[in-house]
Amino acid sequence: MTRKMLFLVGAILLLASPIFAQTPAGGGGGTDLRLPFAFLAMGIASGLCGLGQGKATASAAEAMARNPGASAGIRFALILGLVLIESLALYTFVITYVAKT
Amino acid sequence: MEHEPEFWLTRLFNDYLGAPLASFLNSIGHPAANPNRPWENWIVIEILVVAIIMVLFAFLRSRLSVDKPGKLQMTFEAVYSFVSGQAHDAVDHGANKYVPFFGALFIFILFMNLIGIIPGFESPTMTPAVPLGLAVSVFLYYHWMGFRAQGFGKYLLHFAGPMPFLAPLMVPIELISHLARPLSLTIRLFANMFAGEKVTVTFLSLTFIAVPAVFMGLHVFVAFLQAFIFTLLAMIYVAGAVAHEH
Repeated sequence: MTRKMLFLVGAILLLASPIFAQTPAGGGGGTDLRLPFAFLAMGIASGLCGLGQGKATASAAEAMARNPGASAGIRFALILGLVLIESLALYTFVITYVAKT
Repeated sequence: MEHEPEFWLTRLFNDYLGAPLASFLNSIGHPAANPNRPWENWIVIEILVVAIIMVLFAFLRSRLSVDKPGKLQMTFEAVYSFVSGQAHDAVDHGANKYVPFFGALFIFILFMNLIGIIPGFESPTMTPAVPLGLAVSVFLYYHWMGFRAQGFGKYLLHFAGPMPFLAPLMVPIELISHLARPLSLTIRLFANMFAGEKVTVTFLSLTFIAVPAVFMGLHVFVAFLQAFIFTLLAMIYVAGAVAHEH
């Protein structure tokens, strides 16, 4: 079922291929498209970051419920994990500003 | 980035100390972007933060007392025990040698992050140069500590991995991961502070009442967290460099 879904999504994305036929508006190859792609990249990065952080928080909450005595260590691991995952989305944010130049 | 109006202290520095800095920068081969106003906001506010920290600690030093500790002393004892406890958790033995560096790093980054919340001031960590300088200093520090703890040759042999025949695979991987560390430290701190400001400004332009204050509150929390994470990662890198396999 998921493989069929993935194939369907891939096929639909290929429907967008006429975008490569448009004449570049900026007078160079693809200079017009850097910003929209950067925005798309930011959206994907934020979405995946949200998934990752949700999984981390869910595991941490479950672990704290099972073992309330270890809350301090689990909370520490949770914060550390959340910050490191957040930083991955922020790298993409920085690229948006690089693409703006 | 857009040209922001000059911070009042920067204007003072530029008016009176502009020429010495411009000639200094010329002499080291990196002339200032605008030679008439070489001082930038971030360096001036960094100097201000250092001055504030020095005054604060000098005041604290004069108020230290064993029998009747005041509130300031108890606050900084809590900060010290926090940093020292983390260092002892991260580095197995000999953590006391590194606590001064970690403590200075934590307090400096924390004050720099928090000063941006005061209206009219901007965080020096919002410019990419400042987190880069901090990350490079951490990089040099942990390698130097590794050399000191294990000797020059033995520390470099670490990069070859656990077994000699793995060396051609391990050396590029270790090299890239070690080079990625200052990069990630820089971008993490810079992007968090920069994004915090941008988000507050964006919401300020959308809704003027109450909502930007929520984002500023989040920014305070993120400021503490980012200072802590930077210091924690520095501790982990030092621990990795200094670790002896027993």
